[in-house]
Amino acid sequence: MVLTSFQNTKCECGHQNAVGTVLCEACGKPLYDDDSNHSILEMRYDGVARKSQKASPGLIDSVWNFFSSVKIAVILIVITLVGSSLGTIYPQESQFVNVDASQYYKTTYGTLGHIYYLLGLSHTYESWWFITLLVMIGSSLVICSLDRVLPLYRALHKQKVRKHDQFLKRQRIVYEHELTTDTEQWLSDTEQALRKKRYRITKNDGALMAEKNRFSRWGPYINHIGLIIFLLAVLARSIPGWHMEYYAAFPQGEPRPIPDTPYYLQNDHFTVEYYSDKEMPEQFVKEGRVMPKLFETKATLFRCVSNCDDPVLEPKLEQVTKYDIRVNDPFEYDGILAYQYDFDLTPKLISVKPMLKDQKTGQSFGSFDVKMSNTETQYTVGPYTLELREKYLDFALDEKGTPMTKSQEPNAPAFVFVIKGPNLPESGEPYMYFPLQKDKVRFQEEAINRDIMKKLRIEVASMNDVSISESTSYLNIRKDTAMPFVWVGATISMIGLVMGFYWQHRRIWIRIEHQQLLLGAHTNKNWFGLRNEVARILQATQLEVDAKAIDRGGNKV
Amino acid sequence: MGKRNKVVQIVILAFIVVLGGSAIGAALFKSEEVPVVGSRVPDIKLQQLNGEVRTLSDLKGKAVVLNFWGSWCEPCKREMPALQSAYDQWKNKGVDIIGVNYGEDELVVNNFVSQMGVHFPMWLDRKKTASKAFGIRPLPTTFFVNPDGKVHAIKLGEVTAEELDTYIKQMIGS
Amino acid sequence: MKLLLEISQDAYLIAFFLFCIAFIMFVFAMAGHKKKANRVVHERRWGIIAFVITLIGLAAQIVYFITRWIGGGHIPVSNMYEFMSFLSMMIIGAFIVMYLIYRSPVLGVFAVPLAFIIMAYASVFPSEVQPLIPQLDSVWLKIHVTMVALGYAFFGIGFIAGLMHLIRCVNWAPDAPRKPQVWLEMIMVLIVVIIGFTAVVFSYRGAGYEVTIHQRVEEVDKQGQINSKIESTVYTMPPLIAPLNSEPADINPLLGIQLPLMEAPDWMKGVQAARKLNTTVWSIIGGLLLYGLIRLLIRKPIAERIQPLLRGMDPDDLDEISYRSNAIGFPIFTLGGLVFAMIWAQIAWSRFWAWDPKEVWALITWLCYSAYLHLRLSRGFQGTRSSWLSVIGFIIVMFTLLGVNLIISGLHSYAGV
Repeated sequence: MVLTSFQNTKCECGHQNAVGTVLCEACGKPLYDDDSNHSILEMRYDGVARKSQKASPGLIDSVWNFFSSVKIAVILIVITLVGSSLGTIYPQESQFVNVDASQYYKTTYGTLGHIYYLLGLSHTYESWWFITLLVMIGSSLVICSLDRVLPLYRALHKQKVRKHDQFLKRQRIVYEHELTTDTEQWLSDTEQALRKKRYRITKNDGALMAEKNRFSRWGPYINHIGLIIFLLAVLARSIPGWHMEYYAAFPQGEPRPIPDTPYYLQNDHFTVEYYSDKEMPEQFVKEGRVMPKLFETKATLFRCVSNCDDPVLEPKLEQVTKYDIRVNDPFEYDGILAYQYDFDLTPKLISVKPMLKDQKTGQSFGSFDVKMSNTETQYTVGPYTLELREKYLDFALDEKGTPMTKSQEPNAPAFVFVIKGPNLPESGEPYMYFPLQKDKVRFQEEAINRDIMKKLRIEVASMNDVSISESTSYLNIRKDTAMPFVWVGATISMIGLVMGFYWQHRRIWIRIEHQQLLLGAHTNKNWFGLRNEVARILQATQLEVDAKAIDRGGNKV
Repeated sequence: MGKRNKVVQIVILAFIVVLGGSAIGAALFKSEEVPVVGSRVPDIKLQQLNGEVRTLSDLKGKAVVLNFWGSWCEPCKREMPALQSAYDQWKNKGVDIIGVNYGEDELVVNNFVSQMGVHFPMWLDRKKTASKAFGIRPLPTTFFVNPDGKVHAIKLGEVTAEELDTYIKQMIGS
Repeated sequence: MKLLLEISQDAYLIAFFLFCIAFIMFVFAMAGHKKKANRVVHERRWGIIAFVITLIGLAAQIVYFITRWIGGGHIPVSNMYEFMSFLSMMIIGAFIVMYLIYRSPVLGVFAVPLAFIIMAYASVFPSEVQPLIPQLDSVWLKIHVTMVALGYAFFGIGFIAGLMHLIRCVNWAPDAPRKPQVWLEMIMVLIVVIIGFTAVVFSYRGAGYEVTIHQRVEEVDKQGQINSKIESTVYTMPPLIAPLNSEPADINPLLGIQLPLMEAPDWMKGVQAARKLNTTVWSIIGGLLLYGLIRLLIRKPIAERIQPLLRGMDPDDLDEISYRSNAIGFPIFTLGGLVFAMIWAQIAWSRFWAWDPKEVWALITWLCYSAYLHLRLSRGFQGTRSSWLSVIGFIIVMFTLLGVNLIISGLHSYAGV
């Protein structure tokens, strides 16, 4: 469409149109074509000038014009489409936890993978260019909609019933006929038929306009508003404190703090259940497949009431609530969500409560509680005192033969106590204690403690005196304050889509002059439906028309 | 009418520039949750071995070397003598060298310190909060913090006497 | 329970054969009568018969669906077999909707075969009822998956009508431009390849072919240690392509050629990617052979051969049907494939959008159809160009459905088994 700045935009009906108007806003006469043109009119936005169509655009106008173009919008959509498909070639960095991306792609996928990483495609969806595309799509959504919706609203709000001949004859659906009956009668019959089809009628001396479902024209704009709210909500997640997300291990029975909140979450018990052979298809049983049935963490939420930030003292906790967290059934409290994510069934020693016994008589002097972490250093058992001198959680000997610990996990704990009391030297006598049976044998507890074990023994009576964490549950802890806005945006968007796609704005104009009937009809979608409706309405007034014949067809290229 | 249009246009474009700019800016300059070279260190508050509670911000104005270690870690043991001699060399020249133990018992740390024969200050990160704040992954990790509280360098793995010397000299600007 | 599942399988077969018969009836309705005067009556009569058979076929499919639901204890949309057969049911449903609106029997000539090709394709996947893993055990399985299938079904009818428009409009005159002819025939080849694939699968399955190949897989566990283990893959077709790092196996040579010919490329990461690639290669071989055979028989490009069937159709109507169907499908797909998907993802994976490959491809599908809908606003994009877009759109749908599981692994990977 070529716009020249000095064009006279005043229509013959006397209406002064804005620059860029294609069809006169009042009577609908095409302003640019001469009368010999019979092609179907371009009815987009009812031929009104869009906001952006200015005679001489400045810088701001140029930017505005750029984003107001549907063509640009489609190009942006296509670029985004191609860009996001690039991100699916290899897994994204965000799908791994604790992986060095600069090495991962090279070692896993070779040179191509390394190039992929160097191009930044391993984090496509967080990259500046992808975000820029989304921002541009968002801008296009806002500007395209604003640019069209207001003029369109005005045009539809003040429609003139009586349209120009040219306007009617150049609609896609046109019907012309010489009426032989009384025109007033015919018009009122037609009105009846139209009302039955739920059309709203306006009349003006010999001209009639029937319209229905105008609201569907607002569908696309409502959809766009929803999309904008959605995008803004996603953007809002970067507001400090609105979004938190991390994975954490929760060993059974140990409350773990949730950062930036007063809460502590504890895994009381983790269960994994598998389907029995009976419940699975025979083929699966044959292949030896196992299928999980249930992942569940019984969890307790605590609130810290004092000593929360103290580097030394243990925090004081109060139970808030309990919940069974399952896959597909997260725990929610005060905006904090906890999801079942993973598990580890390796048992871990928490504490042992051995007895101190007289080797000869077998008499017990009592028991004492040895915790694996934050171990106490002084114990009194009967007449004896034990002082912890050395502690190794994962005992081993280095090349020089000095004791050491291989890790901070209690895989092979060893404790060296100095015991003082009856029948022992004044300075005490050392006792190296291995709580686990396998270590007693491996490191020869008997041989190390040869002398003292003739007098005393440190031993657990039964498994009841051993406290073990059976499993570790990995939970995903999240906080997402913007979520309600995301859902609001999605809902509005859906409402707009349904309005726009499942209803169509239909208009029928009728003009009768000297027994000559001229009918034009327009819809924004579903011509098939409209032409059938027009044919049926005409049939109701005894005018036999073939639905197909009144449709001049819109796609003949 | 025309003027109002213009105002509406400008307001909307301004909104887009601000919101869109902040989104793109966030993508371009990702704010790291853990300190990197050049960023400010988080303040940590820990108990010193056999002593009172200390905070990192108290040491402002001095160059600080923070060495995160654990008793099970071989390279941590190997680098201890280098740290100790650097401590001896620099302690009166505006440089603090601090070991931060990764969540072990006081007893274990005491035994370790006497076994290694080192006596520079050791802080106990019992709840591993400091290690989390510094985003510690491998042990040992050594942070070199400038007197203004910004990270000068980060060394992952065993630190050598030469590296200590170089970085410390750079930090105090001699 | 067992009885119910048997009834279910029988109903499935019955539906399949009914659709085949309906298809023949639709073809007969369109091509059966030579005399011009009787054509309209003939078309209408046989068209209705074919439509009624289709309805009975749908009833059989519904029987399959309900009995399997009761027998299996959960809605049968939890694996590929179940999803594809549900999709074919939805395509028939969408066809019925469009047929009732437009009363066009010629639509059946194309839509019904699309449904039974997908049914046959579904049978390629293991059809046992399997219990639900915890990740799938949610009401959103019902809501999300069925809505997605319904949306896809309308896109499928949009594709069918678009394809018909292209077949109807392409100019086969000797001096006509070659490019549209070639591209259209490529689509035909693609369809024949899919049919060829099912044919190959069923021939080898009928012959009971099976070979097991062992493969060494290295996995990094939580402690960061690399564990090497042996995984075995059962091939039901002669292995031209073996998994990466596979152990030499004792395989009978095929036509004197020692198998396997090669190992799968290392960038294929999907579940059992090598086996699937092998199957793809076989289906291309089978499809091309089948295509060659058809060409020998009809001695013309397929699209040219079909064109006369569509003579009676107004291209504008086809264009309209295509657009209408896509426009009906779009909100359904948006709701099922994006909104409900996000809600479920929020509940199950803790994040409403994780940029998982399947999600990204659903977004790509959505972007593609929204570009299509925006382009329809301008007149230049109605007719042929718009038909091409609707064909491309459906190819993207199929890639999202099948291709993503073949090539890319992700959170949705369990859906591929």
